[in-house]
Amino acid sequence: MSQLTIPVERHSLDNGLKIVLSQDRTVPVVAVNIWYGVGSRNEPTGRTGFAHLFEHMMFQGSAHVPKNKHFELIERAGGTLNASTWYDRTNYFETVPSHDLELALWLESDRMGWMVEAMDQEKLDNQRDVVKNEKRQRYDNQPYGDWDERLQALVFPQAHPYHHSVIGSMEDIDAATLDDVSSFFRTFYVPNNAVITIAGDFEREGALQLIQRYFGEIERGDAIPPLPGDPSIDPLIGETVRGHVLAEVPLPRVIMAFRIPPYSSDDFAVAEVARGLLGMGRASRLYRRLVRERRVAKGVVTYAFPLLTGASLMLAWATGYPGASPEELEAALAEELEGLVEAEDHEVRRAIALTETDLVRGLERVSERADLLSMFELYFDDPDRLNRELDRLRAVTVEDVRAFARKRLGPENRAVLIYEPKGSA
Amino acid sequence: MSTFDRSQPPVSGPIRSFDFPEVERRSLSNGLDLRVCKLSRLPVVSLNLFFGAGEGGLEESRAGLAVLTGDALEGGTVERSGSELAEALERIGARLGVSTGWEGTSVSMSCLADRLEEAFGLLAEAVLEPGFPDDEVDRAREQQLAAIRQRAMDPGALASMEASRRYFAPGIPYARPQSGTVESIAPATRERLGEFAAAAYRPHEGGLIVAGDLDPDEIEAMANHRLGAWVGAPPETNEFSVEPATRERRVWIVHREGSVQSEIRAGHVGTDRATPDYFPLSVANMLLGGTFTSRLNLNLREENGFTYGVRSAFGFRSRPGPFSVSTSVGTDVTAPAVREIVRELEQLVEGGPTDEEVAASRDYAAGVFGLQLETAGQIASRISQLVVYGLADDYYHTYRDRLRAVTTADVAAATRAHIRPAEVQVVLVGDAEQIMAPLEALQLGSVEVVGVE
Repeated sequence: MSQLTIPVERHSLDNGLKIVLSQDRTVPVVAVNIWYGVGSRNEPTGRTGFAHLFEHMMFQGSAHVPKNKHFELIERAGGTLNASTWYDRTNYFETVPSHDLELALWLESDRMGWMVEAMDQEKLDNQRDVVKNEKRQRYDNQPYGDWDERLQALVFPQAHPYHHSVIGSMEDIDAATLDDVSSFFRTFYVPNNAVITIAGDFEREGALQLIQRYFGEIERGDAIPPLPGDPSIDPLIGETVRGHVLAEVPLPRVIMAFRIPPYSSDDFAVAEVARGLLGMGRASRLYRRLVRERRVAKGVVTYAFPLLTGASLMLAWATGYPGASPEELEAALAEELEGLVEAEDHEVRRAIALTETDLVRGLERVSERADLLSMFELYFDDPDRLNRELDRLRAVTVEDVRAFARKRLGPENRAVLIYEPKGSA
Repeated sequence: MSTFDRSQPPVSGPIRSFDFPEVERRSLSNGLDLRVCKLSRLPVVSLNLFFGAGEGGLEESRAGLAVLTGDALEGGTVERSGSELAEALERIGARLGVSTGWEGTSVSMSCLADRLEEAFGLLAEAVLEPGFPDDEVDRAREQQLAAIRQRAMDPGALASMEASRRYFAPGIPYARPQSGTVESIAPATRERLGEFAAAAYRPHEGGLIVAGDLDPDEIEAMANHRLGAWVGAPPETNEFSVEPATRERRVWIVHREGSVQSEIRAGHVGTDRATPDYFPLSVANMLLGGTFTSRLNLNLREENGFTYGVRSAFGFRSRPGPFSVSTSVGTDVTAPAVREIVRELEQLVEGGPTDEEVAASRDYAAGVFGLQLETAGQIASRISQLVVYGLADDYYHTYRDRLRAVTTADVAAATRAHIRPAEVQVVLVGDAEQIMAPLEALQLGSVEVVGVE
């Protein structure tokens, strides 16, 4: 595959709403996708988890849409929908048969413009319970479920907006009020803090007119306030910081994390390739060495988080066999990560080839196209970056990866989180 | 304030009709059913090779062997080590996956179109000439044993496993975990894997499904070239008929001390994929617990806040699979949640669905069907279902019409025939000390705390 040629067209409304259109009429399906520039990083002390709780409230109806009607109408149309909250953003999306594009725009515009009128204490209390059950199910009642909150606290300083997790604390979720809901809405859910993307089967002029009709009269909000806390951060952790958890987990697991350049940096592509080289696929370095050859790990996982604020995060974890020593597992993982200073060219090329296939296959779905286009517009004012993603990765050389390993993957930039099964020590 | 009336949803535009893409069917001389679907969108190809080496065909002492053998295919071939095989595939951006179920083994691959020939050769080599070297088999076995340990400590997995054991009569494959137990996996050696693959990895009544940016003639030539010499049928399978463990409603608790939630499964034996009630039953399930606005989810989540979500599902298999409601609820609301689940089942069976619910579910299912035909992988796996369950060639062409023909009376009848609230087995993984007494007070049936097997 030489070059991506996804069509990309940019527009904006007077109220500041940014628009991205990407037409593909092969299948009669259309995706509507909105990214708001607000996430857990915008939460002040005492309100952790609020951005996510607010996302739930966005499904509780708006001035012209009763509770549950949003789901009901989209499902009735044969569509799918959801939303998600992350560190830097919150997104909302529908995929519908193309003849129901207008329905999705009506629903999204109603909650962007008139959500707060429909809020009441009963809805807040109900969704507070739902979110607390989400936290219990995914974090508290799940082996290793709290790893990300523990890791964030290790890698990011107390005052940094990434110090706390997206799900937040039970106390803070309990403390949220209806006033918080309306002020959060007025501050962040404004057209000048949002991107809407339509991808798939639609008629260009008609779609623009519909966006103007439904979103054009929503009032622009004030400028978005600066992030709470102190977003400045040293590029390296400066030492090895540690967390040790004795818990009801079946197998020992060692999670190692590193501060890496933010997503906006040119160097982030190096981290993505390094991450793929280490943990993507079964010829990856960690799988080959730790799982297949040395057989000290049952499985390995690597991630590079695309984060914006000062620094981002890369991690590698290895899950050991029953009875394995976490210390030995840690030593083996560290050795392989540090060994990346001698990465080889064929490893780099393999990682790029797999990333390419994954990207192209992802783009088969209009929902994925829309999501990436919204992200590139919101983060970089540059949705066409999607078509240059492959070039960005292909430009990474083996020297880049080696230099990255020397600078980033050593003990002076490392957080280590160990889960040890209770009763095994 | 809005400058126009927003109070009514907009009217839908004209529907653009869309059919399931055309599938060309060609039989190979060895009995393998080749189905090819040409799509012209992105330069990608997805492929599934299915054959009848499934867990349902294994007796209890060999449970999990088909899964283990499938996983061990990545251990390499007679020509290449596991690392060399992985490197050869991933160097060209191809991904190979093996998934083994009750019905058979499915080897899937995806790659960019210009790499298909090379990737397909590697897939054929992996399946037809597996090496099963000792160290790789040992590793795959240790991984599977460790996964069994993980499963036993994961409340959701544990609840599903315990539910199978309580729904199905002992000795029926569906009563046991699909990937086996410590006892059945520990003795697996390279000889056992090799014997199993030699006998069961056979093309007869299997299928090769290829979808994407391709030329059907080239695919046929490629399949003949790489798979033409592969012959034979899998051995006769372990025949069994499905019986419920009991017809008496009972409550089972797997004790998990200090659990902040209870995982709940409530259900019983359902029905098979060939049932004439497939469409009405699918609609019934959607309105019961198959969508966000289903009865169960609106009750347990949106009205009561007991849970993050609740779902119901029929596992349609070649023989009757489970019907099960699944959720995870706060420990203190466990009994009320169970009460509401049973009440919803009773109300649906006794009162039937409303016309509005049936219409909404029908529309949802018919619409979503089209949404899920975007990618080569989605289309290939749809076509695979035709092979696995022996469905008619025109199945997807008539799919939406058959859905739209379902009436409220059909749904009510199917519900009465296949959902039996009085026979439900309620399985919970949670803190027995806190949930036992309130569950007993519901008087659903005897409540028993059980150990993990």
